[in-house]
Amino acid sequence: MYSSELVKGTLKTIILKLLSESDKMYGYEITQKVKDLTGGKIQLTEGALYPTLHAMEAQGILTTDVVNVGNRIRKYYSVTQTGKKVATEKVNEFSDFIDTMIFLLDLKPKMG
Amino acid sequence: MYVLKDEHISFILEDIRRNGIESEELQLDLLDHICCVIETEMLPDKNFDEFYRSIIPRFYKRELKEIQEETQLLLTFKNYYAMKKVMIMSGAFSAFTFIIGSLFKIMHWPGASVLLLTGIVFFCFLFLPILSILKVKEQKQSKDKLLIGIATIFAIVICLATLFKVMHWPFASMLWSCSLGILFFLFLPIYFFGGIRNPETKTNTIISSILILTAGGLLFILTNLRASHVTEEAVFNSDDQLLASYAYLSEQKNSDSLSENQQLLTKKADALCLKIENLKVGLIKSITPDGKEMVENEAIRLFSNKFDPVQSYLFAENGQASTELTSIKKDLAELQKLVQENSADKKCTLISTENIHRSDYNNQNLSWEEFYFKGLPMENVFRNFNQLLVNIRIVAISNN
Repeated sequence: MYSSELVKGTLKTIILKLLSESDKMYGYEITQKVKDLTGGKIQLTEGALYPTLHAMEAQGILTTDVVNVGNRIRKYYSVTQTGKKVATEKVNEFSDFIDTMIFLLDLKPKMG
Repeated sequence: MYVLKDEHISFILEDIRRNGIESEELQLDLLDHICCVIETEMLPDKNFDEFYRSIIPRFYKRELKEIQEETQLLLTFKNYYAMKKVMIMSGAFSAFTFIIGSLFKIMHWPGASVLLLTGIVFFCFLFLPILSILKVKEQKQSKDKLLIGIATIFAIVICLATLFKVMHWPFASMLWSCSLGILFFLFLPIYFFGGIRNPETKTNTIISSILILTAGGLLFILTNLRASHVTEEAVFNSDDQLLASYAYLSEQKNSDSLSENQQLLTKKADALCLKIENLKVGLIKSITPDGKEMVENEAIRLFSNKFDPVQSYLFAENGQASTELTSIKKDLAELQKLVQENSADKKCTLISTENIHRSDYNNQNLSWEEFYFKGLPMENVFRNFNQLLVNIRIVAISNN
């Protein structure tokens, strides 16, 4: 598992990328999906996830949908049009960042 | 999969609330999340309470409330940047319009008032409030928040007072005194006694208090900025002499053998002088507190700087001269015509009512009433009336 500092800087990017690839997701689903995709290497903490989701909703990047699930309410998050643009920007920025880090830290890209 | 009962859900929701999550949105998010965790991870034979206690610590480092605090921080952070941007833009804009407006005002160019007004309004109602809100948010103690609030009110009121003074609007002096009152009797005591108790801030508090007191004192001196007493009295003495000249000229007996035209001229001059004298009496009454009559010399000494009542007596809201002033102008023009017809003085400039060219005033042509009476305080208005009276007498006597 990676340190929380590393995850914190990329949290927005991860959430936006996941949400823009699917129709809509709820909080728990996001954490599970990230866990599955990374084989448990990245585990989003709830304490960081929900504040970020709410902030992005306030910024108009995300929008929410409320659905009744059995005896409780579930909030689904999805990206808005602006959000899709932000997602692309964030992913591109991060990709560029990785290139820079590889060069800066003189890392040999792993083959295969 | 474990199936949660309604009572479990109510219990979880209640527990979330009890732990300080007040935002309904966040409550719903957490409730669903916790339910999902229990449904997928809890084995059917486990005890709900035990399992619930074991998973809750995942959500925080110290307490559950952290999530809400973090959310609020992120939300205000977004506003914070927007507010900061507006604050800097409005501050730069008002500073720019204010400086340009002051320049226009000094040069008597048109548009100065609009620029000054815009600058100060943006400064008072956008820049200062946002600055205050941001600064209040930064402070932890309520005493510091209060101080910032009072300082902001002081700054807004003193800016408005300056604006009102420059625009010659009513209540300017009252606003000015109010702002200094806030500074001396509210801000300074709270600041001084608050800061002096703490050994760390004691010296700085004393120095700053002295600086504030001095700056406030300087502003207070400006409140009633006037010419020196000697100069002031010298000007009043000239006024007295002018009045004495007029009295002397008024007492001159006309020669017995006047032509018909000369008699008419004298009659007209007498009537006009009376009209002006009556106007002056009316003006003094409009200035004195309970509308009582007063000797002119005394009134001028007491109310030399009176501006608003004098101006509103002579000019209507739309800038038109009052009927009394218009009628004086008309009579003056008639008198001038009469003199021009009957004497060698074809110009008769002493009592001319023509427009006056002002090269120092944006090269404008000002009308007679604007030039002599508009935008002037009481002493200037009276001086010009008295000079006019003397001139009328001189013209009348020299044509006898």
